[in-house]
Amino acid sequence: MRRASKTAARLLRHFWRGLREWCGDAAYESYLRSPQTRSGACRTLTRKEFYVEQLNRRYSRPNRCC
Amino acid sequence: MKRVLKLIVWLVVALLGAAAFAKIAFERGEPLNATWFVVAAVCCYLVAYRLYSAFVAAKVLVLDDTRATPAERHDDGRDFVPTNKWVLFGHHFAAIAGPGPLVGPTLAAQFGYLPGTLWLIAGAAFAGCVQDFVILFCSIRRDGKSLGQMAREEVSERGGFIAQLAVLAIITILLAVIGLVVVNALKSSPWATFTLAMTIPIALLLGLYLRFVRPGRVLEASIMGVALVLFVVVAGQWVADSPSWSRVFTLSGVALAFAIIAYGFAASALPVWLLLAPRDYLSAFIKAGAIFSLAVGILFVRPQILMPPLTRFVDGTGPVFAGKIFPFCFITIACGAISGFHSLISSGTTPKMILRESHARFIGYGAMLLESFVGVMAMVAACAMPPGVYFAINSPPSIVGGAGEAAASTISSWGHSLQAQTMTDLAHKVGEITLWNRAGGAPSLAVGMAQIFSSTIGGDRLLSIWYHFAIMFEALFILTVLDAGTRVGRFMVQDLGGRVWKPFARTSWMPGVLISSAIIVALWGYFLYQGVVDPLGGINSLWPLFGISNQLLAAVALVVATTILMKMGRMRWIWVTLVPMVWIVVITMTASYQKIFDTNPRIGFLATANAMVAQIAAGKIPADRVAEIQRLIFNQRLDAAVTGILAIMILVLIVEALVHWYAILTQRKESVLHESPYVATQWAPDYSGAAHGDD
Repeated sequence: MRRASKTAARLLRHFWRGLREWCGDAAYESYLRSPQTRSGACRTLTRKEFYVEQLNRRYSRPNRCC
Repeated sequence: MKRVLKLIVWLVVALLGAAAFAKIAFERGEPLNATWFVVAAVCCYLVAYRLYSAFVAAKVLVLDDTRATPAERHDDGRDFVPTNKWVLFGHHFAAIAGPGPLVGPTLAAQFGYLPGTLWLIAGAAFAGCVQDFVILFCSIRRDGKSLGQMAREEVSERGGFIAQLAVLAIITILLAVIGLVVVNALKSSPWATFTLAMTIPIALLLGLYLRFVRPGRVLEASIMGVALVLFVVVAGQWVADSPSWSRVFTLSGVALAFAIIAYGFAASALPVWLLLAPRDYLSAFIKAGAIFSLAVGILFVRPQILMPPLTRFVDGTGPVFAGKIFPFCFITIACGAISGFHSLISSGTTPKMILRESHARFIGYGAMLLESFVGVMAMVAACAMPPGVYFAINSPPSIVGGAGEAAASTISSWGHSLQAQTMTDLAHKVGEITLWNRAGGAPSLAVGMAQIFSSTIGGDRLLSIWYHFAIMFEALFILTVLDAGTRVGRFMVQDLGGRVWKPFARTSWMPGVLISSAIIVALWGYFLYQGVVDPLGGINSLWPLFGISNQLLAAVALVVATTILMKMGRMRWIWVTLVPMVWIVVITMTASYQKIFDTNPRIGFLATANAMVAQIAAGKIPADRVAEIQRLIFNQRLDAAVTGILAIMILVLIVEALVHWYAILTQRKESVLHESPYVATQWAPDYSGAAHGDD
């Protein structure tokens, strides 16, 4: 029983992370974790700056299909 | 032992699929249960994925997991983001799944359920999935380069230019035709128009929240947005019931067309965070939910298929659109089987986020199989309603003789019995003023979906809510494609304009933004307006044009894929991309020829124009309508010219490719492959992405 609930909790955690990644909720965390950001070569963007910059980039190329 | 067991399981899956297919193909007389469609499709997809995609991965592409992907080499947390394969599958599927696989099969149902279903499954397995998979692989090996860049480098400069033109052509025609689908869905429907109009202030609210209150918290904002959208679906009924408000939201086709054109301009010119992105979030969640619910609904309700396997309209006299089963079934189905547009996604965001080369099989091939399944579900929804009702909704008034008794009698004379009262009752049940002559696929799909949903929850009492939910779902994500496409088109216009005058290419220069937005909106807006005023309903001319332009892009993608395979020395397996390419070129060229030169005015653009010219010359057109008819004549000739240009582009591309291939094969030209150099991966074999790696 305990093992089953552990498995269920792990699956839920995975699902939640996947959902956050899929919809873009976790994009800023991914950005902070990236080697380029960690290296400190460029100024780290704030969450607000990153959000706008990311949207401008994403919607300047085909990202929705027929 | 394990091996034998596996073999037995796959044998059972294959036999089950074959049996379901036989049932679909040979069942006559008795209504067929939709479960057979689901079983046939799922078994075929499983076998295709297990065998054919594995063969392409292992023998044709030779995927190499020891090679670092662009996401690993350039990981910047922005464009290049190593992403878990399930998440990326979701991303990729959300990007490729648009209105095409829903509308195309619904329109193609006029031939009966059989031809469309066969092409949806076989076309996806052997053409569409292969295209998406191979292009994704090629782009991964080239640091995520776009289709245009690959065409330029691997085929020729001209090939790249044709790819760029094809993208602009497809964007223009696609936006016009999907705009027309929305117009026909909202025409004379205050409930649906109100619901969709309200999604704009909801999106603005979300945009402001995500920008200023809780930046980037997409999930919580989307949950609030979806709740508000569901509320306005219900509130639409109150608007429809109120005489004064109902009048405000009852719009004609032309008024709706101008409203959509104005919306497209605003979405392109306004900051992306304000309107476009929040609408996209709403659309993504509602799209995923509606598609999942439709699948569950079909399995739960197991509706009877009432459409015959083949109708009399295989001879080309169909009321929804004219043209014989070959080539028009293939052109009409479009995205559910193969879509050139997908190659832009496969060479866009996805290759920059993939963790390993082997994931390309699951994401490229697998996501397209799922898209094909969406097409099969749309086919089921369209064919589960009585054929008479289907034809009443999708036929233009000029074909069926208006609405009411006259139209019911025309449709009954085709062998699909229909009472005018049936349509009145149905319209009343779904909360619409009328369901006659609502060509475009969206209303009939919404009726089909509503019937399936209401059989699961609510019965007839909730039919109107489900219908308007389905209309909102279709229109919402069609408009998301429309605004995102207009913005991309604006960037392309700015890019082209920048070659003449540099400041024009600056995306922050407001006059450039406004002028380029106006140009791209005018381009598709003209075709949309033309479709709305077309006496044959617009879909008859615009949907085939869209299909042709989409297949042109597929031909470009398959030419690039074939050339790369040739350069990689995989001559033995070249048929994997060459055969679909030849098939696509044959159907596209045949359709183009017929749409231009066919002597039947319902098919050939020039014949339609000539018939109208003859009517004016014979004095059959009243003087006050001559100017209007002359505009229609111009439009038909314009459509013929556009089709001709698309066909010439295909021919130039094929000649270009043949010359290039001949030079490679005879070693007159050095075969240079523009792959990025091999870099070994540093990731452990079980690494599954940044957010998942810490488990």
